[in-house]
Amino acid sequence: MSNSHDNHGHGSHGEGHGHYIIPDATIYKTLGALLVLTGITVGLSFVHLGTWNFVVGMLVAAMKAYLVASIFMNLSHDDKSNSVIFVSGFFFLAIFIGLTAPDFLFRGDIFTEGKQIMLPVKGVSQFKRPWEPTPEIVAHGKAIFMQQCVSCHGPEGKGDGPAAAALVPHPRNFTSADGWGNGRKPSQIFKTLKEGRPGTGMASFATIPAEDRWTLAHYVASLGPNVLKDTPEDLKAAGVDTSKDTLGDTEAPSIPITAAMKILDAETAKDGLKGNIKPGHDDLEGYGERVEARTFNPNL
Amino acid sequence: MSHASVPAGKYNADNPAPHHFGHHFESAEHEFSSAKQGMWLFMVTEVLMIGAIFVGYLLFRLRFPEAFHEAHKELNVKLGALNTVILIISSATMVLGVTAAQRGNNRRSIGMLITTIFLGGCFCLVKYFEYTHKFHEGIFPGGLYHFEGLTVPHAPLFFSFYFVMTGIHAFHVVVGMCLITWIITRIKRGQISKEFFTPVELVGFYWHFVDLVWIFLFPLLYLLG
Ligand code: HEC
Repeated sequence: MSNSHDNHGHGSHGEGHGHYIIPDATIYKTLGALLVLTGITVGLSFVHLGTWNFVVGMLVAAMKAYLVASIFMNLSHDDKSNSVIFVSGFFFLAIFIGLTAPDFLFRGDIFTEGKQIMLPVKGVSQFKRPWEPTPEIVAHGKAIFMQQCVSCHGPEGKGDGPAAAALVPHPRNFTSADGWGNGRKPSQIFKTLKEGRPGTGMASFATIPAEDRWTLAHYVASLGPNVLKDTPEDLKAAGVDTSKDTLGDTEAPSIPITAAMKILDAETAKDGLKGNIKPGHDDLEGYGERVEARTFNPNL
Repeated sequence: MSHASVPAGKYNADNPAPHHFGHHFESAEHEFSSAKQGMWLFMVTEVLMIGAIFVGYLLFRLRFPEAFHEAHKELNVKLGALNTVILIISSATMVLGVTAAQRGNNRRSIGMLITTIFLGGCFCLVKYFEYTHKFHEGIFPGGLYHFEGLTVPHAPLFFSFYFVMTGIHAFHVVVGMCLITWIITRIKRGQISKEFFTPVELVGFYWHFVDLVWIFLFPLLYLLG
């Protein structure tokens, strides 16, 4: 500055010439405006305007963003092309939201409608002694049944769900005592849920936590013409230690349902069967993925 | 040029070296505007990166309004507002630092930049207290969540977004503080003058951008139920 360098010599021509320098007063005014707007956002959040809270909050944020970009980042005095570049980022973001939102929000079966079942936190049991039915346990089982089983077994468990017609053998009718393979006792239903019925449309539901499978078993058993009970021997055979209050971690690690479906497919193909799911049946298109999606872990 | 004979180390904040623009530019102005344009392009990539997470947040919020509403009450509005104010003031000290450098007032510029770093540090400190409090309660992202006080389904999803968004933002704050430190050393070495202040201005942009992101994060996470 005080030295005698020749700033107009070749190559050291100053860029400061004609460069807009924001006056201090403008900076302080902008700072004040930003702080006031922050106060407004915080204040507004205590007023209940419904969805308008969101709209107003975002508008105020956009105003703040505009102040920062146009004054602090000097876009208002800058080459227009830089504004175009910056705004184009938001333009592409808008396209992203515009295309993703309709897909995400209106694709019916990514998530089940209605009440979500909270999966128990690992190692913490929601129910004590889930192998002994209580009204709460049966109700919990019903809630899961309405999500996971109605497509085949029907809303009343009569084996008449929308997908039932395509399945050979047909899904079991729980209100009748006929035709049961594994049996109607809760411990036997529990076994069915864990292992599935190989070679039929009844896949393993081992991805559902054991505790929830017990609640399902009690709900299914409760639909029967007469409700069968487990003897202590039955429970022991099902791997329950009745001297404890919780289910032990006695289960082998489970495999995802899609993998189970693939194994099932491979098995039926090997056995020379045509496969028990008729191809091209709308309700069953992508069945495996849909089941997987339904077991979406709400903890994550 | 006379400066070629000046021994290294002679230049400092009060006596900066003259600047020579790269031989691939037509003029210093050309060099400056190219660098600036590059910075804006970089910021567009940042908008898109953070924007993607915003979109995820918004969609899941539309999907699970109750869960997000209940979960957001766990955040401390006072601390969030405090951090908003800190960042806004730091943005102002940043511009003051940049304009001081543009006017050739390098000492004032250093003072403003140090204040900016200090405010960035305050922001991180507040964030640190917020995080440790959450961890203490068992509020962790995703499957690690084990907070007994809030068991609404999908509440952990809110906190996954909270930690990822504020975590990425805090990372940017720390990077910004490092960049400002780098700028200060360059000023001290006499590499910044009123003829050449490109790095100061570009780091300033970066810092304002970090502020911009927080301007949206704060209402989205802390305020809007
Ligand atoms: C893809 C359709 C489908 C779904 C979904 C389905 N099932 Fe089944 N289920 C069947 C079919 C088919 C059978 C008959 C299997 C057989 O004949 O052995 C069956 C049989 C059963 C049986 C009787 C097993 C026995 O001992 O004969 C039980 C119990 C059962 N399902 C429970 C459930 C529960 C609980 C769910 C929900 C978690 C469920 N199922 C979901 C198709 C399905």
